[in-house]
Amino acid sequence: MARATNAGRVAVLLLAAAAAAAVSNLAASTSRKLAWVGNYPRAQQVEPETPAVAAATRPASAAPPAAPAPAAPSAGTVGVVDPELAQAFPPHPDKAAVEIAPADVERLYRKQMLFLDARRTSVYADGHIAGARNFPVWESDIDDRVKKLFEEGLDQRAPVVAYCSGGNCEDSHMLADKLYQVGFDNVLIYKDGFPDWQKRGLPVAKGANP
Amino acid sequence: MRVQIALGAVFVASAIPKLVDPPAFAHMIYNYRLLPGTLVNALALVMPWIELLVGVLLVLGAWRREAALVAALLLVVFLGAIGWNLLRGHAIDCGCFDVRSAGKTPEQLLADMKWVMLRDVGLLLLAGQVLLATSPRFSARRMRV
Repeated sequence: MARATNAGRVAVLLLAAAAAAAVSNLAASTSRKLAWVGNYPRAQQVEPETPAVAAATRPASAAPPAAPAPAAPSAGTVGVVDPELAQAFPPHPDKAAVEIAPADVERLYRKQMLFLDARRTSVYADGHIAGARNFPVWESDIDDRVKKLFEEGLDQRAPVVAYCSGGNCEDSHMLADKLYQVGFDNVLIYKDGFPDWQKRGLPVAKGANP
Repeated sequence: MRVQIALGAVFVASAIPKLVDPPAFAHMIYNYRLLPGTLVNALALVMPWIELLVGVLLVLGAWRREAALVAALLLVVFLGAIGWNLLRGHAIDCGCFDVRSAGKTPEQLLADMKWVMLRDVGLLLLAGQVLLATSPRFSARRMRV
């Protein structure tokens, strides 16, 4: 039988959806979970074609902490940067990230600089730059991962390369913003990302580990 | 009855991929560039459940009027969001039935967005029909006839 709309039922429907979302998110695995409150400073900006160098604002409270002692150099980590590299890729404390050319990416890779993959965990496992560490910006534990990276005591002025899927992919820029907010001053974006790396036949690894 | 089941089925089909991968859907919502960043995740978590519940209610024929009303409101929001981006030339994957990026060019995406709007207008008409069929006035007129 036809009847007037029952506002109470609409409210029940919406509340049931919110409750189901809460339970489902609680039960979700890390890679499916979302923080309820997002942290996307550029969410309302329609980006120009090259969004990379748009500076993220670094909160005053997260001003660059005192530089910790650099870790010992090892494969795929930021260790002591050789002076030539430091000169070619100086820190840029005024902006979160700078885009670099594929040839520069290769050069940094050969020098065993830190590479971070901003894509989803499942995509990373399907194939990533050998040695790159996974920092999936759309997953709930990204802030913890960034915090842990900070706590490793790396040289925050040393080049760090972030990449995602190339094209219009912005995940590497979002990761750069997060790193910048904890004090990393030299994040470099490999704009063409993993598809370009593969095309160039450079080392690739599969699975959950770098 | 058939209209309502078809509309419900569309909403259920649309909800499932979003429920399976909320972060990917949050990414889709982010790409619309309309919402404040703090609200993106909350919407990505709740909206698929609203779609699912609306779809299930319509398929089952329960709370038809309320479900059709919420469906119509959602469709109006979708139309507004896609239409606004189309107007400002911001190409996006709609994220309607697939939350993975289709890897299309901006031109292809803009063309797709026009079709998505047409489809949503069609669905809105279906929701309108369910609302009309469950309207007390419409029902009273039918009884008089």
